[in-house]
Amino acid sequence: MADASIEFKGSSFTLSVLHLKTSKLADIRTDLANKVAQAPDFFYLVPIVVSIEQLDSSVDYQAIKTLIEEFNFTFVGFTGAIAKEQRTLIRELGFSFVNTAKPQTLDKTVSAEKPEVVKTETLADIPERSLFSDKIHRGQIRSGQQVYAKDQNLVVIGSVSAGAEVIADGNIHVYGSLRGRAIAGAKGHHHAQIYCQNLEAELVSINGNYWLSESMEQHWGSPVYIHLTDSELTSSKLI
Amino acid sequence: MARIIVVTSGKGGVGKTTSSAAIGLGLALKGQKVVLIDFDIGLRNLDLIMGCERRVVYDFVNVINGEATLNQALIKDKRVSSLSILPASQTRDKDALNKENVGKVLEELGKTYDYIVCDSPAGIEAGAMMALYYADEAIVTTNPEVSSVRDSDRILGMLASRSRRAELGLEPIKEHLLLTRYSPKRVDDGEMLSVEDVVDILSIPLLGVIPESQAVLKASNAGEPVILDTESDAGKAYQDVVDRLLGETVDFRFLHAKKKGILSRMFGG
Repeated sequence: MADASIEFKGSSFTLSVLHLKTSKLADIRTDLANKVAQAPDFFYLVPIVVSIEQLDSSVDYQAIKTLIEEFNFTFVGFTGAIAKEQRTLIRELGFSFVNTAKPQTLDKTVSAEKPEVVKTETLADIPERSLFSDKIHRGQIRSGQQVYAKDQNLVVIGSVSAGAEVIADGNIHVYGSLRGRAIAGAKGHHHAQIYCQNLEAELVSINGNYWLSESMEQHWGSPVYIHLTDSELTSSKLI
Repeated sequence: MARIIVVTSGKGGVGKTTSSAAIGLGLALKGQKVVLIDFDIGLRNLDLIMGCERRVVYDFVNVINGEATLNQALIKDKRVSSLSILPASQTRDKDALNKENVGKVLEELGKTYDYIVCDSPAGIEAGAMMALYYADEAIVTTNPEVSSVRDSDRILGMLASRSRRAELGLEPIKEHLLLTRYSPKRVDDGEMLSVEDVVDILSIPLLGVIPESQAVLKASNAGEPVILDTESDAGKAYQDVVDRLLGETVDFRFLHAKKKGILSRMFGG
């Protein structure tokens, strides 16, 4: 393979953003010195993005970068530029311009100007979804048995028989056939989902919304995941 | 160490006692020392199927209560000398057994016998739990219909959670699926679950498939376990089961409906 030595992949990182409220370099220097003095080790070589969102167009970008690097930050680029000309200028000066995944302002004219913004999961959604650890059950869950993953996701390596019941406060994964009852998001958790390799369930429920077998005709006997969209259960094929 | 095998099902009337008798006798015919225990206290049947009902003097409950010794209660089979039967009591109920004393009896029997076959009562109450508690292996007897499969599934759950092996965290009970009253023609007609369906739902290894057969009823009435009827399909299928229990690899038979030839179609067959 010609390109076996390298590979491009998209990834997300958490970066610190320094929001500037003034373009007066002397003021920034004073405040930054105070801040860094509180925890010099913490800030040492930290990659930093500078937001100029709150500044007007007369910004000395080169001076800001120099100032930031004086305090031993690793300068990554600018963010928060509103006008297109401003962004062009930043790039012409040789600095990178970084877009946030979510627009910081909801001003319509601004969002219209930023078509490159891709809607992804907002940061607020992520901790809620991945809050739970996994409870792993190996082997089949038989008729009459009940397994509850309290404050956890439930992973079943095996099938869930008809007449058995699996309950989780988080998600439910069944690596086998789901023939019994599955109740995810039991304590009220809208994002909980149910995954299974073969849907033949008696009942599935997420956050109190439930389906009986007759509602599952569309994907009966298929590998699917079930989730809530606007308080309606939806099933989608896994493969 | 004797192998303690429980023949169980959850549902009643699926062929537990018929299977216990056939398998017990079959193992004995292969030279093994076998004792058959009837755990169905109050509904004594095994002695009838074995044809020794007129020779019952003492029973399992008498032994448990210390009213008789094991040797007094055990009935030696007249056909095969290495086979004995410990009959149930017809006049008591299932609460007459307790774990501790049953354990003692099994331990005592284990000194003499190679196989202890426990014929379980139906249901999931105390009697059935007692029969499976000390088991090393379980033959889960199932008919190819949904309610029987569901009940077998329930019993499999009990085997995995309520047995001595489960309580002590030992190696789990070895589970075998025995499909009885199987009719390939009715499977083809869509009236019955197929072997594949049942194996898929229960996900345990298949020990045998016994075809639906008139020979079973005839054998029960005569007190001659059906395995002695070597001409019948059911008898042959039980023989295969015994061979598999003894570790042999035997192909499955009687899984498909017999195709009628042109002559038998013309003249009826």
